[in-house]
Amino acid sequence: MTTNTTAAYQNSFLREVEAHVEEGAWVKMCMQCGVCAGSCPFGPHWEHSPQKIFMMIRAGKREEVLRSDSMWMCTSCYNCLVRCPRKLPITHIMHGLAHYAHRLGLAPKGQPTRESARLFWNNCIKHGRINELKFTLALYFKDGLAQGIKNALAMQGIGLAMLKAKRLNPFAIFGGHQCKDKSGIQKIVAKARELEAKRQEQAA
Amino acid sequence: MTAALEAAECGQQVLLIDKAPTLGGRTAQLYRYFPKMCHPSCGLEINLKRLKGNPKLRVMAMTELVAVTGRRGDYRVTLKVRPRYVNENCTACGKCAEAVSSEIPDPFNYGLSKVKAAYLPHLMAYPQRYVIDASIANTAEGEKAKAACPVGAVDLGMQEETLELTVGAIVWATGWRPYDANKIQPYGYDRYQNVITSVEFERLADPRGPTGGQLLRPSDGKPAKNIAFIQCAGSRDENYLRHCSRICCMATLKQTQYVREAGGDGRSTVYYIDIRAIDRFEDFYQMVQADATVSFVKSKVARIALNEVNGNPILHGVDTEGYHRYATEHDLVVLAVGMEPEITGLLGNGLAAAIVLDSSNFIEGCAGASADAGMFAAGAAASPLDVNRSVQSATAASLKAIQVVHKTVSTEVA
Amino acid sequence: MADNKFAAYICAGCGIGDTLDIAALEKIAQKECKMAAVKSHPFLCNQEGVQIIKNDIANEGVTHLCIAACSRRAKTEAFAFADACVSRANLREGVLWVVAAGAEHDEVRQEMAEDYLRMGCAEVKKMKQPAGNPDKAINRTILVVGGGMTGMTAAIEAAEAGYAVLIVEKSAALGGFARQLWKRVPFAAPYAEAQPTGADELAARVSGHARIKLHLNSTLAETAGAPGRFQVKIAQESGSVTEVVVGAIIQATGFSAYDINKLPQLGGGQANVVDQAGLESLARNAALAGGVIKRADGKEVNRVVFVQCAGQRDASGQHLSYCSGHCCATSIKQATYFKDANPLVDTVVIYQDLRVPGMGEDFYRSAQDKGVVFTKGTVSKVSGGGSCSVTFKDLILDEEATLVADLVVLATGQVPNAGTDMELWNQVSTDADNGDEAAKTRQQELRAASVLKLAYRQGPDMPQFKHGFADSHFICFPYETRRTGIYAAGPTRRPMDLDQAMTDATGAALKAIQAVENAAAGRAAHPRVGDLSYPIVRLEGCTQCKRCTVECPFGAIDEDERRFPQFNEQRCRRCGTCMGACPVRVISFENYSCDTVGMQIKAVNIPDEFEEKPRILILACENDAYPALDMAGLQRLTYSAYVRAIPIRCLGSVNTVWITDALSSGYDGVMMMGCKKGDDYQCHFVKGSEMAYYRLSKIEDTMKQMSLEPERVQSHEIAITDNARVARLIDDYVAQIKEIGLSPMKGFG
Repeated sequence: MTTNTTAAYQNSFLREVEAHVEEGAWVKMCMQCGVCAGSCPFGPHWEHSPQKIFMMIRAGKREEVLRSDSMWMCTSCYNCLVRCPRKLPITHIMHGLAHYAHRLGLAPKGQPTRESARLFWNNCIKHGRINELKFTLALYFKDGLAQGIKNALAMQGIGLAMLKAKRLNPFAIFGGHQCKDKSGIQKIVAKARELEAKRQEQAA
Repeated sequence: MTAALEAAECGQQVLLIDKAPTLGGRTAQLYRYFPKMCHPSCGLEINLKRLKGNPKLRVMAMTELVAVTGRRGDYRVTLKVRPRYVNENCTACGKCAEAVSSEIPDPFNYGLSKVKAAYLPHLMAYPQRYVIDASIANTAEGEKAKAACPVGAVDLGMQEETLELTVGAIVWATGWRPYDANKIQPYGYDRYQNVITSVEFERLADPRGPTGGQLLRPSDGKPAKNIAFIQCAGSRDENYLRHCSRICCMATLKQTQYVREAGGDGRSTVYYIDIRAIDRFEDFYQMVQADATVSFVKSKVARIALNEVNGNPILHGVDTEGYHRYATEHDLVVLAVGMEPEITGLLGNGLAAAIVLDSSNFIEGCAGASADAGMFAAGAAASPLDVNRSVQSATAASLKAIQVVHKTVSTEVA
Repeated sequence: MADNKFAAYICAGCGIGDTLDIAALEKIAQKECKMAAVKSHPFLCNQEGVQIIKNDIANEGVTHLCIAACSRRAKTEAFAFADACVSRANLREGVLWVVAAGAEHDEVRQEMAEDYLRMGCAEVKKMKQPAGNPDKAINRTILVVGGGMTGMTAAIEAAEAGYAVLIVEKSAALGGFARQLWKRVPFAAPYAEAQPTGADELAARVSGHARIKLHLNSTLAETAGAPGRFQVKIAQESGSVTEVVVGAIIQATGFSAYDINKLPQLGGGQANVVDQAGLESLARNAALAGGVIKRADGKEVNRVVFVQCAGQRDASGQHLSYCSGHCCATSIKQATYFKDANPLVDTVVIYQDLRVPGMGEDFYRSAQDKGVVFTKGTVSKVSGGGSCSVTFKDLILDEEATLVADLVVLATGQVPNAGTDMELWNQVSTDADNGDEAAKTRQQELRAASVLKLAYRQGPDMPQFKHGFADSHFICFPYETRRTGIYAAGPTRRPMDLDQAMTDATGAALKAIQAVENAAAGRAAHPRVGDLSYPIVRLEGCTQCKRCTVECPFGAIDEDERRFPQFNEQRCRRCGTCMGACPVRVISFENYSCDTVGMQIKAVNIPDEFEEKPRILILACENDAYPALDMAGLQRLTYSAYVRAIPIRCLGSVNTVWITDALSSGYDGVMMMGCKKGDDYQCHFVKGSEMAYYRLSKIEDTMKQMSLEPERVQSHEIAITDNARVARLIDDYVAQIKEIGLSPMKGFG
């Protein structure tokens, strides 16, 4: 058992979450029934369940929450969301929290979900659409060459089967399909970033 | 019954109508009460005695109010009386039941057992008269019942009747119904035999119930030894009922004592969000907390799976006091189902405009200005209440109704 | 008045005629019982049968009739004859349906039926039609003690029903505790916002009501009399005393907040630690000043912590063990005072179980929506002062935590203002009666501390149920008090919130109205509503033993100046405990007496011992045990045909003479069947079963003198659901008696 002595239950973090986290205003509505925690198929792999994270937010545990990898474990199955008796959009709050931690640079380094999301995003932005082969390879080799080979060998059965089923195009390594107006997409993203930055500035 | 009796005992003329063939309502289906563990039929007996001795009170069973017009002090009501196929000659001798062979699910036992299609609703039914179920009224079975009756009480020609009369005030005491557990998909009430509701469990515990008071589980008839009680089954849940049904915590605490009293090595586990044992019910909670056969888990159970081998339900969830994940097998699960106001008759008969409902469809009062209000809600139709508070509410509603028709008794102030 | 004419009507329906020898029964009614008219009918409860009886009453002058048919609980409408005394011989549920089928049982079955017929005839011969008490008590004014929300509501509701009301309020103004509140919790949809209390408006309505009269700055100095004729002395603070007569009393004396100073561990008594009433006062001050809530020292509150269950739900025995029910919603409301004024104020509620039943869930949601933070935990320490701190075990996060706050609110409980505890009073009084001087002083103090100052022999206040609340013991009957015509309402009866208190007050007003109407008509109050019989005493035979006055569960009997019992019929509930208590049998009811039961016992034919047919008397409480026997019949459970059951009003009414008479006339055993006794007693006349046990212990000596085994008298607690059990108990007892052997007293009776 730990002891919480620093400014316990001061609501500043709760207010911060309400202001900056997608659907963060719902956190206060949780009544600690725990149905989300029990409904999550990834439950055993979390350090903190959603309901506990909501309580930690109210308790002012800013660092512990934002540095936690728990919300990165969400796979968007929506079990918690449909069962929540208070109708909290838990899935969205989890992603919101993860995103906020990422933006603040507090998200755990090397957290696989986060890494995957980052690679996915970069891959997607570059070509305007996902290059599955490159994305997969990037994931395999994210922890270095040796680990990458190990990963690739472990997955080779699936890879070959996909190849056979024409679900994998080896030539995509040379660029693959691209979208029609790549620079247009990139402009949209840049504009979105600009707007978001402005919003953050105003909120702060 | 309370609203009617209290008014009649103040000297008012009262007509008490009930949709069911007998008075007593859901209370008659309870085995025992919290927190005294006494028997509801004891109070029912007193009330029936009060009623039998009161000439001011008239009872009409199988009767529904289908229309109301007029205003405070002068309502014109239309009543629909369903055929009982048994007249007042009936002596409850039971010959008709002996004669027929068709059976129907026994409504008194929530369908957990069957009863002959010519039946006395329960041992304390009032009027103490048999009912011929409509399903056999026009069949050879019905004729058998008629032939068997030594006093000419079976009247298969009975038709639905409609009558109109004038009343000064109306008290809605239509009570509640258990929330439909089938709607709570993750708990599998519709799929797993050993997941039952609290009202069904009450019948199992009653020595006059379908199992003679033994706590036998439905799948294989074996004694249930390791019983889970799931609180807020439907209640406090915006997917189902947004209100707290108030009674379920105490009802469960009471039912854990049925398990203990059944002897053997029976154990109860209560899965809860908050134990709402208010006022002196707290005494009872503390007593149960000290009971080694009962344990508590602060958790809303997420879902129930089935052990295909032994038919045991497996409860999945997280104990939120410190975050402990569980997957616990029990041999019987009791869902503490919530209370829904029984207003289907009201709504079905297009009477919604006459009343004001709250966000959970409990009757708040009469539509229109309060000065015109001559209709009052009492008991569980007005709010999720236990018996004690329903009686309190009914007594109060009774006075409100009396005020509508009152004549000044004493203007002198001492 | 015309002479009595006795008749017996024997029903042959429901199979009675197929199984029993009706002609033999008729003969017994005529020859043995000497009934002037004896008729049988194949279907007595039908129109034709009933008409025969009606004609006999109207045209033949029949005044007393024994109906030998089904149980007294069945066909009550058909067999209700307002102008005649009626007894019911239970041939159907009591004989036909419970004696095993088959020719081998024909003899004992017929004997049982014959005995019930004899008993019914014997009973009705001793019955009189209750004429009602000639001393009517007709005052219909309702006295309300306490002018808070409960009292005001009771007053206005009774007045609106047409009754005159007096309110006695000890303070200078109406409104009570509600006037200390800034706002109340919402009672109606959408259950989202705190609401004005309405206390001032209600006080204005009450003050201006033509049928309500106020006595402010006043308390009760004495309450004597009975429903319909209470003589009440109202003492003004100034010392003047007004005497009034009222018909019924509602005690709405409310509650006091649990003393916060008893909670030093939770900061009670320290600066900036307040109870809920203290916070209301700060909130009202803020509203008057037109600003936000500030501390007593004028400092703004940026952070407030609410500690639930402070000194409540306490298992240690130091504080209140119960939950006051309203405090969770009250703290929610108070937290929103802050949030509504300034959402940036931190409000934390630390609870064990958040108890907002019913629609309170919406109010809870509304507060959460406003940003009130709730956390489950147990608080171990609160320190007050300039900066308060609250240390608690955070049960969800599983850690110890300390919160700092500008203000801490302790949700303490409700302590009922129910006056003097009658159990304590009884102890002290016993000591005082034995000459203990200290006890005499204490007795005076207790009287002074009482609310009602009843001039009853049984003490100055209503008996309390649990934790000092003047509540009913009965779930079905929340207004069933032990002092007839006096009803407790509001938080003095049970911990409750304002909404419930106002409903409670309305209900209590109805019960008070009933009480005055019953008293005026000479009728009993609950549960024997409408009973016109009342205890009649032959004072010339009284030995002044005081048992009746002591044992009356409702405090109905005082002692007059000559020390004779003085019956206050309007207080009487007609249970007959006094009749059971009386050693010289001078107390009786017109339709229920030592004779009506005694003659039934004597009417049974006792076979001599060589016939080896035991006879066992059952005295069964008419509300629970007798219906259980009846329903055993309805279920066609069988039991021995050797028993003879007599329904009685209450085991408390059993006079030991019945038992000794039965034993000396050759009965082989007696079974007494009553309700549950003890703390959770189920007897609606309070201690009938307990009295029966007590009295039984006194007749053991008599039994020894008669050389009878103690097993020949048994007492059982029977619940109304014990149909199968009661049948089993009977059969077991018959077997036991056979083992012991038949009574040696046969032939001497």
